[in-house]
This record gives sequence, C-alpha cells and structure tokens, in this order.
Amino acid sequence: MSKELNISSLTVGYNNKPTLKNISILSDKNMMIGVFGRNGQGKSTLLKTISGLLPPISGQFNFNGIDILNISEKERAKLLSIVSTTKSSIGAIKVQDFVAFGRFPYTNWLGINKVKDYQEIDKAIKLCKLERFANRNYDELSDGEKQKVNIARAIAQNTPLIILDEPTVHLDLINTIEVFKLLRELVKTHSKTVIISTHQMEYALQICDQIWLINEGKVESLSPAEIISQEKLTELFDDDLISFDKNSQSFRLK
Amino acid sequence: MDTSISNKISLTILLLIVGVFILFGLDLFLGSVNIPFKSICSILIGETAEKETWKIIIFQSRLPKAIAAILCGSALSVCGLQMQTLFRNPLAGPYILGISSGAGLGVAIFIMGLSFLGISGSAVTLSANSGIIIASILGSFGVLTILLSVISRLKDIMTVLILGIMIGSVITAIIGIIQYFSNDAQLKSFIMWTMGNLSSVTNDQLNLLLPVVVIGLILSFISSKSLNAYLLGEAYAKSLGVNIKKSRILIIIITSILTGSITAYCGPIGFIGIVIPHLARMISNSSDHRILTPLSILLGINVLLISDIISQLPGLDQNLPINSITSLIGIPFIIWIILKNKKIANLN
Repeated sequence: MSKELNISSLTVGYNNKPTLKNISILSDKNMMIGVFGRNGQGKSTLLKTISGLLPPISGQFNFNGIDILNISEKERAKLLSIVSTTKSSIGAIKVQDFVAFGRFPYTNWLGINKVKDYQEIDKAIKLCKLERFANRNYDELSDGEKQKVNIARAIAQNTPLIILDEPTVHLDLINTIEVFKLLRELVKTHSKTVIISTHQMEYALQICDQIWLINEGKVESLSPAEIISQEKLTELFDDDLISFDKNSQSFRLK
Repeated sequence: MDTSISNKISLTILLLIVGVFILFGLDLFLGSVNIPFKSICSILIGETAEKETWKIIIFQSRLPKAIAAILCGSALSVCGLQMQTLFRNPLAGPYILGISSGAGLGVAIFIMGLSFLGISGSAVTLSANSGIIIASILGSFGVLTILLSVISRLKDIMTVLILGIMIGSVITAIIGIIQYFSNDAQLKSFIMWTMGNLSSVTNDQLNLLLPVVVIGLILSFISSKSLNAYLLGEAYAKSLGVNIKKSRILIIIITSILTGSITAYCGPIGFIGIVIPHLARMISNSSDHRILTPLSILLGINVLLISDIISQLPGLDQNLPINSITSLIGIPFIIWIILKNKKIANLN
C-alpha cells in the first residue's frame, strides 16, 4: 500500500458543495497520468484541489510522503508546478523572462537569477525547442507557442510533479502531439510525474501510463488497456451519438 | 525577469534623474516674486540672503511645495502601478477607483464628524496633522478593501470602473450629509482641505509626510517580486509560491498609506496614477516591476514638477490648482490608451 502518489478520502468542490466525494487513488510516481471526464464532471476542480489552488472539503493528497495540501505555498512551489488554459494577459515580456518565472520559488526577495537558475531556464527552453523564440515577445506568439512557453516555465520550476489542466485545449493536432511527446519525455528521462487532464483521449490513451476516469461523481484509476477492454469510454459518453471502437482504439459516430 | 537592465533603460533613468534636479531648480526659481538664481542657491546652503523675505518665500513656500510635488508624484505613480497590477486593470489608479474619495471621507469624518462622538474640536486641532493622515489612510484602506472583496466576482474591466465611480458618488453623498450637520468652523476647515494643493503643505506636515512616503516607496520596491508574479494571474502566482492573501494585504496597505498620506495634505490629485505607469511601460518596454517601480517614481516626480511649474507660471499672481493641470495632461493620454488598446475590456 505504500505508493508514492496517494489521494485518500478526498472530497472536492466549491463553497462546501462537493463535486467529487471520497476519492481514493494510489499511483506510482514517474508516470504520466491522464485525467478523463466529460465537461462539468469535476476534472478541473480535482486538479485545482490537488495543486493546492482550491482548499479540499476533506481528505488528503500525499506525494512522496508529503502532505501536499497542508504545506505553505512556498514549499509546495518546489514540489509541484501547474499549467492551465488560463492565458496570461501579461504585456511586454520576453519568452526567456517568462520561462524565468519558473525560478521564482528559488530566488531571493528581489528575484535575482543565479548561474544555476540560468542553467535551468536554458534547459527548459531547449527541452521545449523554444530556442528561436527566446528573445521574442511572449505577446507575439501563437497560442501553441505560448502554451509551450508556459510548459517551459513549469519545467524551469524543476518540480517532481507537474499538473496540467487541459493544456492542449487551444492547440491544433500537431501542437497537441508535440506537447504530449514532450511530457512523455519528461516522465521517461527526467523522472517527473505528470498529471494531465485532456479531451484528446485517443492520443492520451497511447501515451499515458494510467488514466483517472471521472464519471458520475466517481474517480477510477485504470490502465489504458483496462479502459479499452472494459469499454469505459463508451460508458463515459452514454448516449446515442458516439462509441469507442476497441479495435481501432478510436471514437466512432453512431 | 532578466536582471541586466538594458543600456537604454539606464540612460533613461539617468536622464530622468538629471531632469528631477533641473525641474526642482526651476520650480524653486519660478514664482510670482522674482528671486535671482544665485540668491536661491546661497539661501539653500544657509548663507544670509539679501532680503529676509526671499528666505521666507523659499523656506516657507517654494521649497515645501517642490518637495511636496516630488513626494506626490512618486507616491501616486507607484500606487497606480501597483493597482493596475493588483486589479489586472490598465485603467486602475487611486483617483478613478474612488480611493482618493475614501481618503476624503476619512478626512471629512476627522474634521467634521468627530464632534458627534463627543471629542472636542480643540483636542482635535492639537493632533490635527497626524490625525488627518491616519483618517485619510484608513479611508483609502476601506475603499480598497471593498473593491478587492468584490473584484473577484467581476470579470469586466468597465464594471470595476463603474464600481469605482459609484463608490465615489456614495462617498460624496455621505460627505454631504456630514457637512450638513457640521458647524461653520468645521465646514470651513473641510472646504479649505478640499481645495488643498501642493502649496498648502506646511513644513510640519512635510516632516510627517516625508518618512511615510519614503517607507511606502521602499515597501513597494520590496514587493516587486510578488507583483511580477501577479502578472501571470492569481493561480500561477500561487503555484509559484506567492502567499496571495499576505501579499495582497501588504500591497493594499502600501497603497493606502501612499494615497492616504498624499491626499491628506495635498487634496485629491487625479490621473497621475493612471498615466505614469503606462508611460513607464512604454519607455522601458518591460513588465518587470523592479524596473517599472523606480521608473514610475522618477517619471512621476518629473511630471508633477512640470505640472507645478505650469501652475505658477510667471505673470500669474495666483497658483492654478494642480489637480486641473494633471487632469488636463492626463485625460487625453487616458483616452489615447483606450483607443490604442481595444482589448481593454477584458479583465481575464
């Protein structure tokens, strides 16, 4: 029972109204975990809660034996970073400086970057293949590029856990796949744990190690193979419009 | 968050510092009484003046006014910068959001309202200088707290501005009621305050205002790092380790102290707070508060000294109200910001 990622009896929701009750999940670390669920089922609420952005109604989230939801923002910022769909309406800032925000938890009161910080920033920019944008203005980038810059910022934060809430929502197919591949690489070669919610389920099934499936107030943790063999996705979209085809591993219109 | 400030910005800062000295000198030199520049210098370094009246004019009138302009320009500009970041609103500023009105309410209650509580007028006058400043700071703090508690529910920038205007109107109404119930002497001293301008700031008040503003400015520079994180939005700021509650309260306290103390002695001065931070952003092409804060301070000082010089142009016996001049400079600039930035309606 000693898994590194442990959600126990977690109830999440806004204003004391639970959206998801009594969630208990055990997972290993160094995994890419996909979070599936239809709109309004509580994906974002769950991710916001385990990111420490929304106080839980009850329950715990332990990572590497640390009670993530009961530590200060400062400590948490060194353990987990987030990427969301919210666009930053920041004015004039260079991509490099935007990525440098990731070093925020490590710098002094004035936010002066040291050699180590610059190394981490460069590393993140290289990993995300943003070298040629480094001196461009963040404002001038396309949505896809902006999202990659945002992910680079999270990488520069150098946390063992990265939580992404629908990071690919504004992106086209190629950009989406690129983001998925990049996250995959982070898990494989940089021993990160990535939790990502997405609606691009067909691709996520191919790339994630585990899926948290949110349906009708319940959260199940399954392997992609189990999702497919147990026809969970057809169950998720329980209506006449669509079904998930086991053989081709893709959605079919009815 | 690159720390290497580009040469262009260093040069601008240098020019602005030179500008402060020149304008400060000009501000001392120009006035209805013509005092030779040499005499001003000798008076300032403590030598005997050719005319005793010149000394009085310099030390009792022009010097405090010029120092008041410097404090006013720096404080209001930094307040505007912090509010624009905190409220994520390019049109935020101490005047337009009703924070100056809040300060006015504090002063009104202090001057006219305390008698309701049975505190006699004479006791009040004794501590009048510090009392006004505290009342004014509390008034600003009140309005800021109201704004901040409502703002999370408002998604639209215009609603926030309308809210600011409504708060201003409510406060004017309350002040009207207080005025109705106060006696002649109280009414007179309050009216005098509302007409207040830089030249009404006394040396005693400066002794109080100077340390308060300097402390406020130092605190705002210290909060540069968390203000930078605010640019990413609240969720990201939190995920980067910023304690939102704490830093918000700190920023509100700084803004209240700066706006409140300035408004207490100089009266409400508009639009500097909105305009200067934009000017700083345009010049530096940066969003970094570690650059924007000092740049806004310097720009604010320059612009306010210029406004003060305009307000006392030679040939005029009377000083024009400084608020009219900052409005005349500021409002066209704000309209230009709105026209340029059509996306302004989104707070997001």
